[in-house]
Amino acid sequence: MTYPNLRARIKVEWKSYLVAALFTAIAEYIGTVKLKVGPGMIILFPVFYAIILGMLSGPQVMHWFDNKHVKAASKLVIVGICPFVVNLGITAGANMDMILHAGPALLVHGFGNLLGIFFGLPLAMLLGLRRESIGATSSLNREYHLALINSAYGSDSDEASGSMAIYIVGGILGTIYFGIMATVLGMTGWFDPKALGMSTGVGAGIFMASASASLAQLFPHDANTITAMASAANTIAGITGIYITMFLAIPLTDKLYTILDKMFAGRRAKTPAAVKGRIK
Amino acid sequence: MRLREWLFLLSVCGVGTLLANWIGSGVSIVKSLPGVVILIAITLVAVVLAKIMPFKLPIIAYCSVLGLLAAAPFSPIAAVVISSTKVIAFAAPFTVVGSFAGIAISDKLGTFIHQGWKYIIVGVAVMTGTFVGSLLWDTLTLKLTGVI
Repeated sequence: MTYPNLRARIKVEWKSYLVAALFTAIAEYIGTVKLKVGPGMIILFPVFYAIILGMLSGPQVMHWFDNKHVKAASKLVIVGICPFVVNLGITAGANMDMILHAGPALLVHGFGNLLGIFFGLPLAMLLGLRRESIGATSSLNREYHLALINSAYGSDSDEASGSMAIYIVGGILGTIYFGIMATVLGMTGWFDPKALGMSTGVGAGIFMASASASLAQLFPHDANTITAMASAANTIAGITGIYITMFLAIPLTDKLYTILDKMFAGRRAKTPAAVKGRIK
Repeated sequence: MRLREWLFLLSVCGVGTLLANWIGSGVSIVKSLPGVVILIAITLVAVVLAKIMPFKLPIIAYCSVLGLLAAAPFSPIAAVVISSTKVIAFAAPFTVVGSFAGIAISDKLGTFIHQGWKYIIVGVAVMTGTFVGSLLWDTLTLKLTGVI
């Protein structure tokens, strides 16, 4: 959404600013909640309540905002994420020596994420999702992935709505689920705390925070290493992830979709024209 | 988007960060202010770079790299950057973003609830695959390079 000038922008968005500030205050007042689940820990960060409050405030529940505000808010997300990413960069820069020591492993770290495509895509297609599944499974669909999918396929595409859906699922469940996964994988005893810490840096700050906090609880002696590795790996994944998603993950998912779609088409068979229309 | 709009919106988000850091972590607004100003300043440089550089990279790529360079050991401003941003809680700049993100997806709430179960399954599969893939790959590369 573009405005003729700043004044016009403020006229539309002022309510969003105030309500977001209010939600921030409420969310931070509730604070980080730690729930003990068996031997593990579920950590709910303030941002989680902020997202839920935001969703409820919109045109479908509380009607504080109409569609115009909803559209404008996505731009505010893109702006707001920037200082957050800068802060991540600063953390990594301050730990530069440690990054250099970790060396080549950290530099190629982002490629591990690609396994998500192979877990997600066939399942999404079996559940009956069409090209939505490309957006949904090419990445974790955090803000910058969403932006890349939108620029690759267009905002009104099926791919973009699949991406958005997983963005929502990730926003609601991701923080909790990454905390649980970190605890479970950590408790197997199969993995080195350094590798565990590093692997939480999947390129999504809040998932990394939740997973590495759970690991730090699990391995108190390695807490500093885990946090430093996680933050460094997340910064690396945030940088390389943009290119990996753009040049590797999205084309790979698209290609894989075409192949799987042909295979599934044999079973669906009945409407070949409809199937053909779906293939680019 | 014009630079002036960026500055304004970043200031709005900066107020959110100050608020979050104060209520959530008990750090006074005065104490958080230098860190927030530095985060906004670096973001503005990133925005300018993204506008003038001949090759098209997303702004967040510049944000990430500039933050890293500013705080790296060879940076002349590293000390002031690190000491002033140290008091900003990791997730503090993110809470206000969450509020905006919630508003941004609020019109899809109905669709999401309707189709939600499929996307929950797919989302969990993608998250699992991503984390496990990352862990296996990192274990392999750390072992190959002799770190662990």
